[in-house]
Amino acid sequence: MNGVGSVRELERETEKESILHLMDGRVKLILLIFIIVYAVFSTQIVVLAFLELYLLILIYISQVSFKSSFKRILLLLPFGGFIIAFQPFIHPGDVIWTGIFGLQVTQQGLMWAVLLMSRLIVALTSIVLLSSISPMQEVAQSFRKLGMPRELAMIFSLMIRFLFMFYDELHRIMHAQKARCFDAFNKKIPYKWRMKQLGYTVAMMFLRAYEQGETIYMSMVSRGFSDQSNFYQDRKKKLGKTEYAYIGVTVLLVVCLQVLAMTHFYELGVLGMNII
Amino acid sequence: MKLRKVILVLNNIPLTPLRKKQKRGGEKLHIPDGFLSWTWPIYYVIMFVALYFSLKWARKNLDEKLIPLIAVLSAGIFAIMSMNMPIPFGTSGHMLGGALVAIVFLAPEAAVLVLFIVLLVQALFFGDGGITALGANVVNMGLIGGAVAYFSFRGLEKFTGKYPAAAIAAWLSLFIAAEVVAVEMWLAGTFPLDIGLASMGIYHAFIGVIEAILTVVVLIALDKLRPDLLAWNRGKTSGGQKLEESEEVAAK
Repeated sequence: MNGVGSVRELERETEKESILHLMDGRVKLILLIFIIVYAVFSTQIVVLAFLELYLLILIYISQVSFKSSFKRILLLLPFGGFIIAFQPFIHPGDVIWTGIFGLQVTQQGLMWAVLLMSRLIVALTSIVLLSSISPMQEVAQSFRKLGMPRELAMIFSLMIRFLFMFYDELHRIMHAQKARCFDAFNKKIPYKWRMKQLGYTVAMMFLRAYEQGETIYMSMVSRGFSDQSNFYQDRKKKLGKTEYAYIGVTVLLVVCLQVLAMTHFYELGVLGMNII
Repeated sequence: MKLRKVILVLNNIPLTPLRKKQKRGGEKLHIPDGFLSWTWPIYYVIMFVALYFSLKWARKNLDEKLIPLIAVLSAGIFAIMSMNMPIPFGTSGHMLGGALVAIVFLAPEAAVLVLFIVLLVQALFFGDGGITALGANVVNMGLIGGAVAYFSFRGLEKFTGKYPAAAIAAWLSLFIAAEVVAVEMWLAGTFPLDIGLASMGIYHAFIGVIEAILTVVVLIALDKLRPDLLAWNRGKTSGGQKLEESEEVAAK
């Protein structure tokens, strides 16, 4: 999953100052979720290809490193890749290849796998872009402004604040274990003993989290916190020209793609075929 | 000669780094975007209903300590989920923590709240699980995982004792959540039911061992060090009592 290195790297990317970075958090959040939802409902590969191209242009505009973005997407792909890899073999349809043990690849299965992979790539690119242009705290505030219940928004915002602290805590524990030559994967050490040590590490993390929660609560109460409190929020910022332009271009692109998908894309053969 | 060279090359491949890079079990429960076809809004509706009742439970049963506590616990669970652990037969997995939260608070609602926050952060910033699949992921790991853990723990503790019951409950919560993922994939037309149930079931039966052992170890440690944190030491509901009362239990 995500090490502390990647969490820090992510926050560093969000500190850049491109047009996209400076936009209102709500606009960035809603539009990228909008692209993901549209991609999930798309059944033509060409539509997904255009969406990916648009996202790549946005990555270029936001001055986010292409190398690190691709690296992150590639690292996340195998999570869905396992299921996608099976698709050509399990979908009924026209057999295009027969291999050993009677394994058969169908055209429909292959196309479905390509469609799933394309959807996954578009969704992951959107997430990589969103997390590279929006600091975590900005996303939490955007959720609050968009109507997330007060308690949930506060939990979300506080959780992000303490995420970094807990990664540091976990790394300190793991460094201490490494310094004492503890390796959870060393098969020469009895499994039971290794599990006991890992269990104590988790218990320690759990306890520290809990006690930290109490300390934080006490310090919040001493500064006037009550169950009616609300987090400080910026005054409602009006959307500027760049935000409207970004909304306009994205919505226009999706509308055009949908119109073309219904009228012209079928002429492109396999790329424009509706895969259901 | 060529064969000898191939054998030599194969023998020299370092296996340990490969093993360390293997995918961790719990991640197979994180459904990505695009895999649920048209069915994903249904899980969002279920998630919102579950969240509504969880927040209602939280307001009723927990004191105002809830917000920082749940937030910091979510951060802790998030960090715990990043720990890679060995599983017999050479694979590795990580803990989910849903069962642990449900048993500590003796409420599946707590698991829904914590897992919602954890999965939201994972989906939004790290791509672990999709945005459109968030509803399904919260339903599987928070609602089903938490409810299975809570009810099986409650049902078994009288017969087996607390810790064996917690182990079975934690194992069951992961196993059933994994089987539900297979059913959801089948409903969406992404994966056949028989292969899905078999592969997810067998794989998570092993991964569940980690969840079971660690849940029990953590519960034993908590019972020794901070018994006041465990809901079973505090009466019927976890947060029903105020801090002073919890401290009294701890002092005992």
